[in-house]
Amino acid sequence: MALLLDVLTTAAMLFIVTAGLMMIFGVMKIVNFAHGALLTMGGYVSYVVTHLKLDPWLSWPLAFVCGMVAGLIIEYLVVRPLYKRPLDAILATWGLGIIIGQLIVIAFGREVQFTDTPLDGMWTLAGTGYSAYRLLLIPVAVVLCGVLTALLNGTRFGVNTRAVIMNEKLASGLGINAGRIRFITFSLGAGLGTLAGTLVSPLSSVDPNMGVGWLVSAFMLVMVSGHSMVSLMATCLVFGAAQVLVSIYFSPVLGGLTIAVLAALTLRIRPKGFAHD
Amino acid sequence: MTDATVAARAAPRKPVSVAGLAALGGLGVALVVVGPYVFDTYLLNILIKAFFFAIAAITVDVLWGYTGYLTFGQSAFFGVGAYAAGLIFTHYGFSPATVAAAVGAAIACTGLLAALVGWLSFYRGASPFFATVISLVVPIVLSQLLLSGGEWTGSSSGLTGYETFDWSLEAWFWVSGGALLAVGTVAWLAMRSDGGRVLTAIRDNESRCEYLGIRVSRVKIMLLIAMGIVAGLAGFGYGAFSGVVAPELSGFVLGTELIIWVALGGRGTLWGPLIGAVLINVASAYLSGSMPFAWQLILGSAFVAVIVLLPQGLIPLLLRPFGFGRRTATAPALTERALPPVDTADTSPALVMQDVTRRFGSLHVLQGISFSARAGELVGLIGPNGAGKTTLMRCMSDGADRTSGTVALCGNDIGRLSPQACVRFGLGRKFQNANVFESLTVGESLRIAGTLLERPSLWRRSQVLALPAYALDVVRTTGLDYKLDAVARDLSHGEQQALELAMVLALAPRIVLLDEPTAGLSKHERTQIGEILSALAHRYGLCCLLVEHDLDFVEQIATRIVVLHQGKLVMEGSFQDVVNSELVRNIYAGTAQPVPDAHDGVQSDAAFQQSNTSTVPKEDSPRSTISKEPT
Repeated sequence: MALLLDVLTTAAMLFIVTAGLMMIFGVMKIVNFAHGALLTMGGYVSYVVTHLKLDPWLSWPLAFVCGMVAGLIIEYLVVRPLYKRPLDAILATWGLGIIIGQLIVIAFGREVQFTDTPLDGMWTLAGTGYSAYRLLLIPVAVVLCGVLTALLNGTRFGVNTRAVIMNEKLASGLGINAGRIRFITFSLGAGLGTLAGTLVSPLSSVDPNMGVGWLVSAFMLVMVSGHSMVSLMATCLVFGAAQVLVSIYFSPVLGGLTIAVLAALTLRIRPKGFAHD
Repeated sequence: MTDATVAARAAPRKPVSVAGLAALGGLGVALVVVGPYVFDTYLLNILIKAFFFAIAAITVDVLWGYTGYLTFGQSAFFGVGAYAAGLIFTHYGFSPATVAAAVGAAIACTGLLAALVGWLSFYRGASPFFATVISLVVPIVLSQLLLSGGEWTGSSSGLTGYETFDWSLEAWFWVSGGALLAVGTVAWLAMRSDGGRVLTAIRDNESRCEYLGIRVSRVKIMLLIAMGIVAGLAGFGYGAFSGVVAPELSGFVLGTELIIWVALGGRGTLWGPLIGAVLINVASAYLSGSMPFAWQLILGSAFVAVIVLLPQGLIPLLLRPFGFGRRTATAPALTERALPPVDTADTSPALVMQDVTRRFGSLHVLQGISFSARAGELVGLIGPNGAGKTTLMRCMSDGADRTSGTVALCGNDIGRLSPQACVRFGLGRKFQNANVFESLTVGESLRIAGTLLERPSLWRRSQVLALPAYALDVVRTTGLDYKLDAVARDLSHGEQQALELAMVLALAPRIVLLDEPTAGLSKHERTQIGEILSALAHRYGLCCLLVEHDLDFVEQIATRIVVLHQGKLVMEGSFQDVVNSELVRNIYAGTAQPVPDAHDGVQSDAAFQQSNTSTVPKEDSPRSTISKEPT
């Protein structure tokens, strides 16, 4: 039972951390290397909330808003000129990650910090006691997946977004403001990134490099899963399970590498990943 | 064809940057020679390390700036080399034998690692993103392994205090500086050689390279192995000099720093990254002490600004007023390439398709196509839009594309082979849209097209460009021989089409696939291309397959017409048979309305040409094109 919960909560954490990256990659075909720095930023939002002795729940909306604002600025200044040069966009967002990281170091120092969790204690499920906060992440991930799928598939914004993905020129010709769609998508993705940083921070510590560890796993999951949020969820489950099993039965070090190595091999054998088309 | 060599008609231009680079190189040599007498010990230490890092930066520039493979993973090779020194000197002591073993281990391990990474990253259809992400995984995996190596690798504190070369600081400075200059010079010679241009061709247009018979994946893997070994030897030097190796040397932070140095220095120039790496390392050593956080912030901001605003880098910008960074394209002299005579007695068909089908899910784009063509034939493939003409061409040129059936080129079953293998069987394919190498000159493009016939030199530029007679015809009739030193992206649409045709013919193919070779050309250009195409089949004995909407054009040159409709081959025969057939009228018109008589079309074109002798219309010249929509 504990093993099952480990797998489920790990998959939920992976999904939460990856969703923002997926949003940006799926819509704009740009790999946002600043995602790691955005995660770190979310962690520090939690830290500030803890430090000011505010209600820990407040860090969730606060992180999302901070990320949105950062995303708007980044899109406007850096990403917009680089749509035609996707590999350069990787580099520019990576450079931004360095800048955000250094600003955080200047503001908060290099020390490892801890944050308050909004939900303490244990919940008992089928006789097994388990961290309540970890369990909470499972419904959070499911709701997030549902909301994002509904947003992309069921709303006017989603239809316009998909039109821009398929044929930007035609979409623009039909009166869709492609620039604005990208603007909104990027800031949404950035907001999801900081929110994720806040969500996972109670489970680990907060330090200026906390995002980097997640970054590579998140990329690999996005590359493997293709375009839809649901397939991303499935990928997170499969690879999360593999990571948990390897960590328990072999070594945590190998566990940390499982996702990257497995995903690389998967893509080598099936270049399209788990995507249907 | 008696005259072997024809001097290029373009006036030769004086290479500008050679003198400048010679001056720069001289300055570099002078600095390396006198360095130990002018610099203090601290700066010498910094510079020696910077020189080793700069060698790694040069390998990043070759991979990224020239070949277009953005890699965060060169630090892995650097780290492997450094640890080869550290591990062997720590555990087995220092002696000539262990030095040889360490160098051997550095070369062997980096080579093997590079081969593995290359196999993972480069295969047909791999996206450049994917290769980049793999390059990010490699250093992370490697440093995790080093961290979990316990006593043997020294874990997070690395290895220190091992015995190493007992050289003076001056000697190290000369050795490392000499190595950097040597690597820089060799890389510069290789990159500007004809062989080096192949890498730029791969960066510009990988699929065109495949269709010129270049084994793109293999070239990239070999290049990565070579660059991995160079970076590994630089790392060995670093480990042997500093007497300290730590997991950071193989980590991805160093990998990204290498990228930053190359980007700021100026990718694709070699000397830019070299200078950039040395200067930034020296500046970091002095400034990170006095303003540790601000310096990283400045570096990060400069990096983002350069990527967004100045993709060419800072140092080329600073040196441009002195004549650096300009292209030194020269036009080679054209000459005819002697080809083995065509065996005219051989009557077996050059191209055979048996029962070929292609499905996309439930959509049958091609069904049961069986068809053959002989050398010397020019087959016109016609059919309404969506009939499957381009798909049929794809199935002939890429073994992985068809769903079932067999295709044989010059007697070779193509199985599931890649386009480059099909090209090696004697196929040449001209795409519908001009598909050229944007940043290469006409002369360079044509030379790369001949790679299969003549392996380009890896260290020098040839002044002579040999082309088969019919490729020379294309180049001369379209006036491209005046523009051998022009960059392909600056050519007009018609010239790009002609260039691609000339490139395909430079392969000396036995079978030529032409997908609307005259689309978007003026009447005048069409006539010229038409003459060349009929000469290809009738005079040079090639097997040509032509997709075309313009029926007049087809009538003038085709020996046989094949009609494709809704994925089926519905008719084969002479032009008259096809045009007068009730079936074909039904296909095109939907009803049995008569197709406009082709001869009227020819007359109207001729009249049009007479009235417009001065200006050549680019598009929309009246021609009896079959209507695309049912009337």
